[in-house]
Amino acid sequence: MRKVALKISNAAKIFTETKIENLEEKRLVPNMMMRRRLTRNAKVMLYLSDKCSFKSGKIVYGSCFSELEETAKIANAVLEGGLLSPTSFQNSVYNTAPSYFSLINRDKDEIITISSGMKTSRETIKTAALQALVSGEKVLCVCVECINIKNIEEINKCAKYLEAGAAFVLETTEDFSGAKEIEDKREKGMMDSLKEIMSVVDMFEQADDKILVEL
Amino acid sequence: MKSYINNYELLCDAGDTKSLMEAIYAKKSAITVSEDYIKDQKAGLGIMQYDNIYDSLKDVTGKVLKQSNLENFHDTLLILGSSVGGMQECEEIFYAEKSYKNLDPNRYSMNALTDYMEKEFGFYDSRAISTACTSSANAFLLAKRLIEVDAYENILVVGADGLCKSTVMGFYALGVLSDRACTPFDKNRNGMNVSEAVSVILVQNSKNNQSIEIKGVGASSDAYHMTNTDPEAGGAISSMENAINDARLELDKIDYINAHGTATIANDRVESLAIEKLFGKSVCVSSTKAITGHTLGAAGAVEAIISCEVIKHSLIPPQTGLKELENQNIKVPTQSIEMKIKNVLSNSFAFGGNNTSILLGVCK
Repeated sequence: MRKVALKISNAAKIFTETKIENLEEKRLVPNMMMRRRLTRNAKVMLYLSDKCSFKSGKIVYGSCFSELEETAKIANAVLEGGLLSPTSFQNSVYNTAPSYFSLINRDKDEIITISSGMKTSRETIKTAALQALVSGEKVLCVCVECINIKNIEEINKCAKYLEAGAAFVLETTEDFSGAKEIEDKREKGMMDSLKEIMSVVDMFEQADDKILVEL
Repeated sequence: MKSYINNYELLCDAGDTKSLMEAIYAKKSAITVSEDYIKDQKAGLGIMQYDNIYDSLKDVTGKVLKQSNLENFHDTLLILGSSVGGMQECEEIFYAEKSYKNLDPNRYSMNALTDYMEKEFGFYDSRAISTACTSSANAFLLAKRLIEVDAYENILVVGADGLCKSTVMGFYALGVLSDRACTPFDKNRNGMNVSEAVSVILVQNSKNNQSIEIKGVGASSDAYHMTNTDPEAGGAISSMENAINDARLELDKIDYINAHGTATIANDRVESLAIEKLFGKSVCVSSTKAITGHTLGAAGAVEAIISCEVIKHSLIPPQTGLKELENQNIKVPTQSIEMKIKNVLSNSFAFGGNNTSILLGVCK
């Protein structure tokens, strides 16, 4: 199994217990019609990509639960025997957030979406590393979870932060010197699906900008 | 390092691989018209004969392992593509109990399927991809690249999606669901069929005398609309060109295109235009979704198996259900064509303008 060294050039994270208040949607998406269609995951992803100054290129996006709010709307509409909203349905797929990024930034490059349960961010980082290695380009690696839906307490027993995300821009490097394995530095109460990516951002903030990843 | 498809099996509405290919060449659609999903409405659906998605995964994967040169999957990476994951089971519980209380979060998402597979077969590691209807096509894209950079010797690519009420009703809400067996590329087509399938493929870095090579993979984003395809077909053209360039082949080396061909008005019009712009009438095109329906996240893996079989049979599949071809500038045969087939391009397109093409061919 092959390991690669990744050089990180930008990183950002955001999280809160309920709802993130200022995601700068009006600045990031001036078109009102487009802005109104955005899901919570899309808004968080757009915010994080902006903080990483990433405008175009390959994206690897990860989310365990993805568009939970849209899925809940659909499930409740089915239960009530009503018509489903076409917008909710199209917004319920797991690649919704990076697709809005692609639409807004006219980015025609490859998008891969990973959803690997509690190891989602680990697998997302590995996939981003592969994409960077194969293309020789800078890649955006981003993971988002927004699970603040009505009655979530019926099922959520461990996550304190119901909206959270992290992102970093990476490229591969031949120089392995100083590259570190990902350390577990995440905040207590953070969803396990975000564990590794939160840790990478924390490492970057502490001047560790080179990591080792097994593909 | 090159990557080879060495073993495969599937389960879909037409049955296993052998039954499916018989149905394709006999032009016998396996679509069922059902009134069980939408009140007072008929829907053409592709329904598998199975108890649950987990047992089907175990059964089909077991068959692939038995055919293979492996004793187990302990050194194999599992890459699974799905658009609904464990949703089928979870929505049934939710509709019955009207509450989330008895839902297991670990049985909801894509990892519900990979976790089950890891437990049953003990894979080295697993990764689940969910890019809607390109999910398992993108699993191929990653598998080829991982083998290319010498990261793995064995990768099991799986496409799996079960029918969900929310998916069927969602496509109905979008106005793209057909009430009969779909008719791709026909002038009078009236929409798609939502279907289910489990498709399992072993990709390795070594070949045998039955191997099919994954010669190229390509992907792109439309950056146009969340569900409508780019009317200029830019994204579809890019993904096909990227796969052909990855394989370092010329356009005239492609013998057959297994189209995405969902039979929606928008998809078939744009995909036809993309094929017309790139190939004109120089290549045979058909969509086997007339037999299988649209198996969503499993479609890329289902159609990769069909493409392998087409190469092995040296027989171009006819277009089932076609009466009047809408785009007369592409070549869609209504009868099987016997010929030496060296290279097949398989297209998958998804919500969000996510496009992936896979180029499979005979080994050199």
